[in-house]
Amino acid sequence: MQILRYIARRLLFVIPQLIGIVAISFFLIKLIPGDPAVLMLGPNATADAVANLRSQMGLDQPLVNQFFIYLGNVARGDLGMSWQTANPVLTDLLQRFPATLELVTLSLLLALAIGIPLGVASSMHKRGALRRFADGYGLLAGALPDFWLALVLIFVFYSVLQIAPAPLGRFSFMLIPPETITGSVLIDSLIEGRFDVFWSALGHLILPVLTLGLVNAGPILKITQSTMDRALSSDYIAFARLSGLPRRTVRAQAFRASLPNIITIVSVLYSFLIGSAVLVEIVFGWGGAGQYAVAGVLNADVNPVLGFVLFAAMLSLVVYLVVDLLYFALDPRTRV
Amino acid sequence: MALARTIENEAPVIALRNLTVAYPRYGGEPRTALAGIDLAIDAGEMVGLVGEAGAGKTLLARTIMDAIPGDGRLVCGEMDYRGAPISRIGRDDSPVRPGRDIAMIVSNPRNELNPVLTVGTQITNVIRHHLRLGKAEARERALQMLRAVAIPDPERRLDAWPHELSGGMAQRVVIAIALACNPGLVISDDATSALDVTVQRQVLDLFKALVEDKGVAALLITRDIAVTAHYCDRIVILYDGEVVEDAPRKAFFDRPHHPYSVLLMAAFAHSVSLRRQWTAAPLKTAASPACRFAERCVRRQPRCIAEAPALRDVAPGRRVRCHFPVEAVA
Repeated sequence: MQILRYIARRLLFVIPQLIGIVAISFFLIKLIPGDPAVLMLGPNATADAVANLRSQMGLDQPLVNQFFIYLGNVARGDLGMSWQTANPVLTDLLQRFPATLELVTLSLLLALAIGIPLGVASSMHKRGALRRFADGYGLLAGALPDFWLALVLIFVFYSVLQIAPAPLGRFSFMLIPPETITGSVLIDSLIEGRFDVFWSALGHLILPVLTLGLVNAGPILKITQSTMDRALSSDYIAFARLSGLPRRTVRAQAFRASLPNIITIVSVLYSFLIGSAVLVEIVFGWGGAGQYAVAGVLNADVNPVLGFVLFAAMLSLVVYLVVDLLYFALDPRTRV
Repeated sequence: MALARTIENEAPVIALRNLTVAYPRYGGEPRTALAGIDLAIDAGEMVGLVGEAGAGKTLLARTIMDAIPGDGRLVCGEMDYRGAPISRIGRDDSPVRPGRDIAMIVSNPRNELNPVLTVGTQITNVIRHHLRLGKAEARERALQMLRAVAIPDPERRLDAWPHELSGGMAQRVVIAIALACNPGLVISDDATSALDVTVQRQVLDLFKALVEDKGVAALLITRDIAVTAHYCDRIVILYDGEVVEDAPRKAFFDRPHHPYSVLLMAAFAHSVSLRRQWTAAPLKTAASPACRFAERCVRRQPRCIAEAPALRDVAPGRRVRCHFPVEAVA
């Protein structure tokens, strides 16, 4: 019950946190020079036409007024229009955000599947070849730019070996897209029994997931390794060893001790990747949320950017709430 | 005691012979950290191992447990457990198991317990692994152990987290874990030094009672010679990796024979001039044949530089490593 009260208290603060985030990003974006009205009408527009459009879009009002109008619209679920796609931003985001989430979630699962076993094993065998491999991998993964790795993977697996499908979107453009239910093509196609789409989507996911997974396994590996190292040299692990507990028990106890740090890094990576997977999204023509927001920034298309920030912030708040609940579950010392 | 043993023909619980541990050094001779340790402990006997920091007390304990820290190597030496030779007890095929047959308690009890496991889980983990008991039986045994170490309200403490325990309570839990599988030998490595003196006394009283009650052989490692005067049957003084004196308690405190033992006692008697000598850093010359204590010894003679003394019997059950043992404390 204590937990429920805690969650309720956290949720109470979500609204002011979101308003704060929207305010900061709103004013920062307005600082970027560039007049959307000029961009929309093109270089040959008359001054009258520009002024007309400006007042239509509310751009002639004071900044603070503009902000409160925007806030009021958001409260009613209206995130404005994107002049680039000519769609409501909400519609665009509901279509693109799941694409990014699907990519990032699967990539992080792959990164965990690589980073944790490698980190645990290399920490248990400090002098083996595995340790040197893990150290080298951590260094390499930290140094490799993800878009570069993406291009190399495309070159090898698409151009040379011709195993992977062309890096154009989430599934073959020859197929009719499935009805959007969850937004994840994999899940939606399965629900509708569209196995042709499912296999195509799986194939299209392989290279981008491999790219982001291989790169982000680096930090997960490093954190796992260093916290495992610390746990293994702690007094209670030494005592567990002296008590003759078997190796697998010692390993499990040390891994348990490093779980909070692994959860922390995963949550940070998750929130971070939503926006920063954009380069990989561009390389694979993914049509994700990051790509959408960057196009918005470059074209003074304010509403998509603000909508993206709002979505990403909500996701981060949820992720951090889950993380705190996990800490709660993992460490008895936090349950006072 | 040695005499009694030969008559009854009963082997000591643990016997160490010529145990030597060395650490490699870059571009030099390996450093001998333990030099030919001979030591035997009988069932129900509590031996106090005293020495300054760096004398090799903890290393000796870790060597017995087959957990030599760092790059240390067991150069030579043998160990017998209840008369049977043992080697490398850390190996899976060893018939003598750490934690079951030889248990160890380390200092700073609150750090020795895993913070995310309940007290009960930590005791039953060890019991279940070593004694192959089921969950319920292991819990019952854990409860018995908590009662044995005089923890109030043991049923409730089984489900307590380590951070809910006081230092003394945590130390009792650690002792309960160490004694849970009825080991033949318990090594306490400076286990109580982190506790208040009053708590320290309670814990040591309890430890002593359990050792006598269960007939366990105990090695009590400490820097506090006063502790050994209260609790130990025999005192062994370690200096720079060597046993320099080994004597029954009463004989030792009546008249320590080795000059270093005298200095140790003087240090506890708050003699400033003697303490200055006792804290002077030893000058280690690897190839020198001299007595290891010669640099700091007030009674040094030319022979001490020329020839290292052997550990020799001076009385029944009493050994000293000195050419010129102290006959009377001046």
